[in-house]
Amino acid sequence: MSLVELQGIKKFFDDVRAVDGIELEIENGEFLVILGPSGCGKTTLMRMIAGLEKPTAGQIFIGGENVTALPPRKRGVSMVFQSYALYPHMNVFNNIAFPLKAQSREKKYDKRAIRDKVENTARLLEIDMLLDRRPRQLSGGQRQRVAIARAMVTQPAVLLLDEPLSNLDAKLRANARDELKEFQRSSNITAVFVTHDQIEAMGLGDRIVVMSHGKIQQIGTPQLIYDDPANEFVATFLGSPSMNILRSDAFSFGFRPETFLPKTLADNPENSRIFHYYVKRVEYLGSDRLLYGYVHGHDNELTLAKVPSNVRVSLDVDCDYEFAVHNSDIKFFDKRSGQRIEQQNLQGVV
Amino acid sequence: MASASAALNPHRYLMDDRRFVGVIFLVPALLYILLLVGLPFLLAIAFGFSDVTVGNTELNFIGFDNFVAVWENDIFRQVFGNTVMFTLVSQIFILIFANILAIIFTQEFTGKWFARFIFILPWATPVSLAAIGWLWMFDTKYSPIDYLLLQTGFLGPKGILSNSRNLYWLANPVLSQISVIFVQVWRMTPLATVILMAGLSSIPTDILDQAEVDGSRFMRTLLQVKLPLILPIMVIALLFSMITMFGDMTVVYVLTRGGPVDYTRIIGLYSFQIGIEGGNLAQGAAMALFAFPLLLALALLMLRTASRAEVR
Repeated sequence: MSLVELQGIKKFFDDVRAVDGIELEIENGEFLVILGPSGCGKTTLMRMIAGLEKPTAGQIFIGGENVTALPPRKRGVSMVFQSYALYPHMNVFNNIAFPLKAQSREKKYDKRAIRDKVENTARLLEIDMLLDRRPRQLSGGQRQRVAIARAMVTQPAVLLLDEPLSNLDAKLRANARDELKEFQRSSNITAVFVTHDQIEAMGLGDRIVVMSHGKIQQIGTPQLIYDDPANEFVATFLGSPSMNILRSDAFSFGFRPETFLPKTLADNPENSRIFHYYVKRVEYLGSDRLLYGYVHGHDNELTLAKVPSNVRVSLDVDCDYEFAVHNSDIKFFDKRSGQRIEQQNLQGVV
Repeated sequence: MASASAALNPHRYLMDDRRFVGVIFLVPALLYILLLVGLPFLLAIAFGFSDVTVGNTELNFIGFDNFVAVWENDIFRQVFGNTVMFTLVSQIFILIFANILAIIFTQEFTGKWFARFIFILPWATPVSLAAIGWLWMFDTKYSPIDYLLLQTGFLGPKGILSNSRNLYWLANPVLSQISVIFVQVWRMTPLATVILMAGLSSIPTDILDQAEVDGSRFMRTLLQVKLPLILPIMVIALLFSMITMFGDMTVVYVLTRGGPVDYTRIIGLYSFQIGIEGGNLAQGAAMALFAFPLLLALALLMLRTASRAEVR
């Protein structure tokens, strides 16, 4: 049995269907990322796992026990908020000790045990020299560690993280991501991580759950989700710049800008589709050149190509070129539902 | 020509001139402070060091004589003690009730709007009107409180509290003091409650959610998270009601005029009675000024605590 099971979870706020029928199993020791645009219901879903919101319908099991009606303290979960929510009037030691003290009656922690646990956890996160400081005396990265230490100190079954990296500056974020993943792997804790940032999701997740409009769009490894998107939403939500989508009478089809290359560079021209591509504008991004233009026959659908800069092919504005996409890199979608469909014959479409 | 000069001059209209508009906006507040607060305050100081009376308005500087005389006056010492005692005791009750009410009113329940409305009324009622209402409630013969106690057997021939039919609220030394404190608590709790409610709702919901996930129950969250976080705001509420209370004389003036004997006489009232009713302006002013250093120290202390405490 999975560590966490969500069965038919729904949450409506008046008429708004924030979460609309979620089935999800989270395995022990897994790093699961819930990815989606803001307002897709991912935070509400996490708050329901934590016990901060009651589902309108459905059941939540943690460790085989039905916890749907239980308050947060009886669920064995802990949470790190986006704002870190450190208690501003307590020093770091008391912040980390707070959940232990709050649960000391049930779990029979004495003062000594609390001190040991706080110090051990602080050492693990390398904040043991900060125990006397107040939160406002800490940097963003240190605050995040304190928040994680406080969440870890009770050795929860599930660690819930609500966009904990988004308050860090970009440079610190990559570092923090790496440390978080390393920490999760070494402590073997089950982590559920909510984010709208696809790079975070791809980098951290063992599996990614892509959500939109309160529903799961796709669950899978980062690679599966990127290479094999289940529908047009997933295809365009992941990847930067996002997948080109072109429409024909019968269906839509798409390909990623990095797979759309000058024909002369194609590895395998006989298994590729050739497009006539008119280049309108070129952006030089250092490692890549980003081309904006139109595929012949799709004059209203802006199509991007991402060509590595080290490829010495001259690509000029206002010129027509032959570009190729490998057949396996072209994805087809139902025009009405947006669902993936099997390979189609492109003959006559382009 | 005209349009050229208009383009050159950024202040086409008088109201475009920031300095002019600034002065216009500041004048009412400045006038209010200077004429109705500053001037009387300076006059009080001048009077306090002089021998001025209503009959003889000539100002002769006599040094600290008035202050010495006031301090050597046994009645004034009792009045001073009353003022401090009333203020402190009522603040304790105001803080307790305001905290409880603020916590209740920040929860969700049906009829909350109406309950809030009812509880704000004492504060919205003019002090003098409210005091007259309470004067009737504490009436020597027709007090409704006494009537209820009589009906429930607490008063009357075989009463538990007294065998009389009345308690004589405002004539009994202890009961009169209790009555005055009660009315002050009744009328000042709403303001403190509103201030504390603002404080409670300013606590980030993340912090409260975090406390819940951390396993904290109601009392722990209240005592270790909410109250410490609203401490600075509590200090402000306390400061407000202490200063209001210290300077107030309406309630005692209406209820007891300071009696029985001097049991409910406070500085504001005594200073009014000596200075205005008795005509000894100089001594009245000196009395009023006695409270000033104390209030100033209190205000400075509390503002410092408030600014030092961390909200975020």
